[in-house]
Amino acid sequence: MTRYLMTRLFYFFLALLVLSVVTFALNWLFPGDPLTNMSGIREGQAAYEVTLTSRSFDSTIIQQYLNYLEHIVRLDWGVSLSTGTDVWQDAATYLVVSAELLLLSFLVAVVIGMPLGMLAANYFRHNIDKFILTSAMTGYSIPVFWLAQLLILLFAVQIEWLPITGQINPLYAIDSITGSVIIDILLSDSQYKLAALQDAILHLVLPVLTLSSLPSMLLLRITRNQTIEVLQKPYVKAARARGLSQQRLLFRHALPNVLQDVLPQMTFIFGLMMANLVIVEHIFNWPGAGAWLLKAIIERDYPIIQMVLFTLMALILVLNLLVEVYRGWRFPMTREERYGGY
Amino acid sequence: MDLLDIRNLTIEMDGPHGRVRVLDKVSLQLKEGEVHSLVGESGSGKSLLAKAVIGVLNPLWDVTADRLWWNGKDLLAMTPKQRRAITGRDMAMIFQDPLAYLDPNSTVAEQITEAIPAGDVTGTFMHRRIDRKTRVAQLLHRVGIRDHDAIMQSYPYELSEGVAQKVSIAIAIAHRPKLLIADEPTTAMEPSTKDQIQRLLGKLAVSQNMSVLLITQDVASILPATQRVSLLYCGQMMEHGDTETILNRPAHPYTDAMIKMSLQAHAELEPKSKLPSLPGAVPTLRHMPIGCRLGPRCPYAQKQCVKAPLVRHREEQSYYCHFPLNEPES
Repeated sequence: MTRYLMTRLFYFFLALLVLSVVTFALNWLFPGDPLTNMSGIREGQAAYEVTLTSRSFDSTIIQQYLNYLEHIVRLDWGVSLSTGTDVWQDAATYLVVSAELLLLSFLVAVVIGMPLGMLAANYFRHNIDKFILTSAMTGYSIPVFWLAQLLILLFAVQIEWLPITGQINPLYAIDSITGSVIIDILLSDSQYKLAALQDAILHLVLPVLTLSSLPSMLLLRITRNQTIEVLQKPYVKAARARGLSQQRLLFRHALPNVLQDVLPQMTFIFGLMMANLVIVEHIFNWPGAGAWLLKAIIERDYPIIQMVLFTLMALILVLNLLVEVYRGWRFPMTREERYGGY
Repeated sequence: MDLLDIRNLTIEMDGPHGRVRVLDKVSLQLKEGEVHSLVGESGSGKSLLAKAVIGVLNPLWDVTADRLWWNGKDLLAMTPKQRRAITGRDMAMIFQDPLAYLDPNSTVAEQITEAIPAGDVTGTFMHRRIDRKTRVAQLLHRVGIRDHDAIMQSYPYELSEGVAQKVSIAIAIAHRPKLLIADEPTTAMEPSTKDQIQRLLGKLAVSQNMSVLLITQDVASILPATQRVSLLYCGQMMEHGDTETILNRPAHPYTDAMIKMSLQAHAELEPKSKLPSLPGAVPTLRHMPIGCRLGPRCPYAQKQCVKAPLVRHREEQSYYCHFPLNEPES
């Protein structure tokens, strides 16, 4: 296990390093003068020459990269070009807002996708299976931005059950402390706590539903296929020959073996959700990191772009690491397969 | 009363080329504590017979029988739940490739523990835990595994084939079944391991007073403790009876051929002489012969053989053939 852990950690840091190279190179890759991209100071301005030397822009690119790396480690991401505030300070709330949306959607995706997938596999080729699979294919083929509009049209405009955009009705006057609206409400001393909570949850329904639609359908299909495969395995047949009930077969023998292969796919799905996060946050006017990133891209606010890209991608890497470590611990066979020993 | 009483068991399935009868009126009786070997080439339907007894056949196949009785109770008339109760309590099965038939993500201890009946361990939570652990160790000892601590913590991929088969036997005998079905348990194993497993099965049958239905491909690997033998070919029963009689005075040409094949396999042959075997090959499901299915390959076949022969009896054996061999001189 130690060897497995060390290898995983090594690859994790390697990936982080590659990621930092990419974000570092953004200043150079984007159109325009790198120094202007980095600091917002245009060529010809008086401060240009000063900044050139003070930011050691005249040294080698390797030296500059090492400087950059040092700043990252100290969580010093520079100041925003448009507002002039410290990027890392601003990021905290934005990231928590997004994390809330992401985690809830992921949870919904797992809760919808996996049981339905197993149900379909259990009724392989029956009408239940066909129905679930067809619905999944439909849900899977609808683009997220279009689905969001449709849901808004139906639930917010036509039958007016749910609010259109935003996190919460501003009249509740909840102070933003952590960024996560639910935690904020629980922390606040508002006298309308329950009503505020209800309102916040109603606001969450549409974005969460939109964001979780694609991952849940993907998860459904992956789980279904994997379960069908596992149910054909000899050890499941042997368990059936021991007179075990179908439920016990599914949950005690099939589920762990299904998880073994579905878990790594979950990080992939999480990455996909990150991409959709930007779209969903923009449509629902959600004050999260995705919308922030989009705004920064339009304003060419490079420090923010670098910071958000790096953090979101690093988050996927961390998740991947956690999944790999859990998998190696719970399913020892997988580490044997990969490294021929532990 | 027989423990297992099968009369005219027929299994039919719909294939891509029409309806196929994969088991054709097979009868088999098994007494309590009896070791019975079921011999047949691959595709003869011996595993199907075992699955029909255990009740894990594909539900789309038609299973009909004059009798499929377990201890006097009709298995075919039972609900799946009643059937599972009997299968889980009184029957057990072990398979050819033990490594594939053990759950790759559970330890040996977990898998054996699962098979221990809930009634066996009582008391508080800790008591039950310790009880279970002792039971698992006992079971491992009983199948001849001495270093139980190391094996209990192992995952199946860490075991050798012989040990894995012993573990699956331990799982099988955990709930003290009355019948153990061993589906080619030693095929493709090293000779020494094969010998160990065979002796273990014979020993367990005596010590646990357990019937064993051993399924093998050739006459040479039937258990030394076998009391009765049945031979199956293409889903038809060829001959069954007392081991001694069958091996010494086979009545059916198929039995005769099987014995010659296995016993002469190691004998020295003249150069360029033909290997002792039946001519032709096992027919496919699509081209099943009518009547006696051995007909096209049988050296003694005549016109009459297009009609399926009825069962005939001779002292300790029963056979299905119009022209039996080794008739006693009268």
